[in-house]
Amino acid sequence: MIVNVIDLLPDISERLDHIIHSLPALAPELVLIATFVASILSGLFADRLWWHGTFAVTVIGILLSAVCSSFQVGNPDADGVLFGMVSTDAFGQYMRILVAVVCLLFALFVHASPDFRAHRKKTADLYTILLAVHIGLNLMALATNWLMTFIAIEMVSLGSYLMVGYLAAAPRQTEAAMKYVLFGAVCSAVMLYGMSLLYGFTGTLDYTSPQHIQGLNGTPSALVTLALLFVFTGIGFKLTFVPFHFWTPDVYQGAPTPVTAFLSTAPKIAGIALLANILYAWPADSFAYQNLQLMLAGAAIVTMLWGNLAALRQTDVKRMMAYSSIGHTGFLMMAVLAYSSQDYTALLYYLAVYSLMNMGVFMLTGYIESRTGAVDLARYDGLGKIMPLALVCFTLIMISLTGIPPTSGFVAKLLVFTAVFHSWQATGDISMVLLLIVGALTTVISLFYYFKIPLHAFLKTADSQPEMKPMRYSILWLAVVLTVAVWVLGVFPDWLVG
Amino acid sequence: MITLTHFLIVGACLFSIGLYAVMARRNAIMVLVGIELMINAAVLNLVAFGRYDSEHYGGQAFALFAIVLAAASVAVALAIILNVYRHYKTINPEDINHLKD
Repeated sequence: MIVNVIDLLPDISERLDHIIHSLPALAPELVLIATFVASILSGLFADRLWWHGTFAVTVIGILLSAVCSSFQVGNPDADGVLFGMVSTDAFGQYMRILVAVVCLLFALFVHASPDFRAHRKKTADLYTILLAVHIGLNLMALATNWLMTFIAIEMVSLGSYLMVGYLAAAPRQTEAAMKYVLFGAVCSAVMLYGMSLLYGFTGTLDYTSPQHIQGLNGTPSALVTLALLFVFTGIGFKLTFVPFHFWTPDVYQGAPTPVTAFLSTAPKIAGIALLANILYAWPADSFAYQNLQLMLAGAAIVTMLWGNLAALRQTDVKRMMAYSSIGHTGFLMMAVLAYSSQDYTALLYYLAVYSLMNMGVFMLTGYIESRTGAVDLARYDGLGKIMPLALVCFTLIMISLTGIPPTSGFVAKLLVFTAVFHSWQATGDISMVLLLIVGALTTVISLFYYFKIPLHAFLKTADSQPEMKPMRYSILWLAVVLTVAVWVLGVFPDWLVG
Repeated sequence: MITLTHFLIVGACLFSIGLYAVMARRNAIMVLVGIELMINAAVLNLVAFGRYDSEHYGGQAFALFAIVLAAASVAVALAIILNVYRHYKTINPEDINHLKD
């Protein structure tokens, strides 16, 4: 029997050696897996003695994995890791660190959130889910293989569904979770079908391999377009670009605020990294690349316009921010389309700044909602006098989200516009000009809804004083730190870009 | 003689039926059944194509992972639908619309 196995796998010892040599490159994920197991155990046993136990384990695990990633930035592993399933280049390392920062902020946010503190199931399971999602996000940013892409997206999706439905305290929360899970499962099923077609056309699952590109070039273009459209249904769902954005406003409004903050940042970072990996795995003269670029440019233009125009007529703050994040997705796609093979500074800077701003905004929304119960813009009237610090920070972040100097939002938009302009000069591609015009136009449109917040909070007066609930200030201080970071990075962008 | 084309046609039919069940949106469980049909269409495709990839068996391996993940996502979806039923006393997606523009 043993002889048969060796006959079937003559190179088994080489394969095992390869896997063992790949492990150091995946150290951050291994740390997270160990933390995942530890968090289950501490949720079962340690939390009875000290209720911060799982939180502490999670924070330490995320920090350790971020440190592991930052050690690898200097010496990227050029060879394929795990038979070319993942590639741990410098871009992927930066993405890992960014994801770790967002996960850390989410853990702190949940820890400080009164809704989650009061929940009967406690938060230990949520931290466990967060760690699993973190692994999925890392793999999503590194994947170079359709199988790995699918597994990573599903890991992130499953965790996100559970996060949205975790509290299930109000009907709206369960409704948001149901809409999310049904829409998400349909999108991933369509994506799986598209991947099966691509596998059939090319005979390989590794989308960076020459065989894959040859296969795509040898297939009728209509079929390739159809298969790519199917695959990008799933990726579009994670990134929330038009026309796969329908779930976004409902889910962002219905989900608990910390979860909304997480969903609007972390999956987008990983999704954008995945998009960049797929797009730049293919040579610029191949049919698949040109096709994909055209599709993405069209989607980016529609996404920017739709997100920003729809945000104008929202009255719920979380819903407004949902449309704003759709608009920013369009901008991020523009950054992906513009970045030329090695220079991803603009993209990285935009992603980092966008994550900090969105986390800050949702922390402030959560804080204001917990203290006064205000979720509607009309109920923000006169709040500026009652909670000056929170609303000043809110306004400062809104200025940055719009992209007004000297904030980091401005620098980020400037870097993206410059990259798009260079790309246009280099290629003369008319879609780049369109992207540039729409980007500038939507920046102006966004001013009108972002400034509704300071308008309501400072310039209008309320008919009655809202009832203030006592609450700890930890979320507020965290938001203040993020606001300061957003402004400091605008004045000294070198700190991040360098 | 059953060829690759036959498998692909069955797969395409399964996918279309699944998509119809999803679009009809009568009942959340029926949507899940539709999703399951779509995933199985993809699995059938993967295994059929995998016959021509005897070096890596990528298709078969992918099919196994897809089946496992489909089961996991159905488990999560059912738990969420149960929670919805507790609050709304219905699982018809058309009737559950507190959140809308």
